[in-house]
Amino acid sequence: MATNTSTAAETAFPCALTLEIPFPDSRLASVALRALRVDKELSPLVQRTLATVIPSALSADDTALRVEYKAATNRMLRVAVNSFFDSLALVVEVMQELDEDVVESRPMDSG
Amino acid sequence: MDTTKKKRRIALGCEGSANKLGIGIIAHDPETNEPTVLSNVRHTFVSPPGTGFLPKDTAQHHRAFFVRVAKQALANAGVRPSELDCICYTRGPGMGAPLTSVAVAARTLALLWDKELVGVNHCVGHIEMGRAITGAANPVVLYVSGGNTQVIAYAEQRYRIFGEALDIAVGNCLDRFARTLEISNDPAPGYNIEQLAKKGGRVLLDLPYAVKGMDCSFSGILTRADELAAMMKAGGKGPDGETFTQADLCFSLQETVFAMLVEITERAMAHVGSNQVLIVGGVGCNERLQEMMGAMAAERGGSVYATDERFCIDNGIMIAHAGLLAYETGFKTPLEESTCTQRFRTDEVFVKWRK
Repeated sequence: MATNTSTAAETAFPCALTLEIPFPDSRLASVALRALRVDKELSPLVQRTLATVIPSALSADDTALRVEYKAATNRMLRVAVNSFFDSLALVVEVMQELDEDVVESRPMDSG
Repeated sequence: MDTTKKKRRIALGCEGSANKLGIGIIAHDPETNEPTVLSNVRHTFVSPPGTGFLPKDTAQHHRAFFVRVAKQALANAGVRPSELDCICYTRGPGMGAPLTSVAVAARTLALLWDKELVGVNHCVGHIEMGRAITGAANPVVLYVSGGNTQVIAYAEQRYRIFGEALDIAVGNCLDRFARTLEISNDPAPGYNIEQLAKKGGRVLLDLPYAVKGMDCSFSGILTRADELAAMMKAGGKGPDGETFTQADLCFSLQETVFAMLVEITERAMAHVGSNQVLIVGGVGCNERLQEMMGAMAAERGGSVYATDERFCIDNGIMIAHAGLLAYETGFKTPLEESTCTQRFRTDEVFVKWRK
């Protein structure tokens, strides 16, 4: 029954955090989602769900990446979320510096 | 513009299974399949003397340098993302966090540039680059690095492992001994052991010799070498009644482990009926190993092939080359499957691009 299952889940993974990361457009939010969801969480004590969503603000498109973390302990939650931020920062930096239009507009011989 | 001229195929390859982050771009000629290195950029994470590189710090290094190295690789090659055929990355084997950090970036590039991904076996990358650079037709391959020690021969579309290290890789033995001696890890611990070893040679210290059939073992040798290093620090005497030095230790360790590698390589050559040896992997840069292997091969009427540090040390171009070879046979890695794995046997790869 729905209530029992959700109570069981809450007690098994009492530490939770939801993040909503804004992106300039839905394409980039989708790229981030697809790049980051491939790797499974390493620990069975951590659950993660990823999705693109319409952000709370004024957009009509899925321009935000929502990630929900549930973990058995605060420590596991912290480790998982910090690791996620490391990967996210890399994805964002690659988008910023190496998206096709960014590279095309740069002179050929500059590093 | 001549529209009947076939376009050359170009791949970008990303490598980060250990402490070297490498990104390279390769082109294959549409008529001759000749490979051309368009760029090969690498940045190494060097840990302080007396320490090794840990997965978390190494992954952090790769994330920090990926964009820089990628931009340099594109600029050196003079290639636009639209010209690429595919993005290749190291699927494994290697260290988990570093491998994944590079895979995440490779996936992002593939999605941004709308290119297919190709997951590559690191060992096969070394082999294919070695074959391409040296032109060796069908050699027995000795793959020796900090993470791997394998004797490989090609048969029926697989790179078959004939012999290997049973515990730690020969490069790991050398790297960890460098930590014992607290010598610099810059540019690489094995390189500094090689330079020290050149100053040795007065005495050969007694170390175990651990060849077991087609395989070999290094962890016992490392233990004994560590014991001798402690004795040296305490002013102990060698077999000739004199004190011995770091140079004597490095010389003795190299002579012992390299002789073992020559023996298991020769055993595979006899088994397979080959007289050519191709040495790949970081330890393959070692000139003493090349010399010893060359002497054995010459006695058998053959020769040794080796590449320089651009290609024998982990690099991105070998991933691009091996990946493009696979891609040209129709192989690709769907995004959802573009994970990494710490264990990935060389013979798991179906070498469709060779007969």
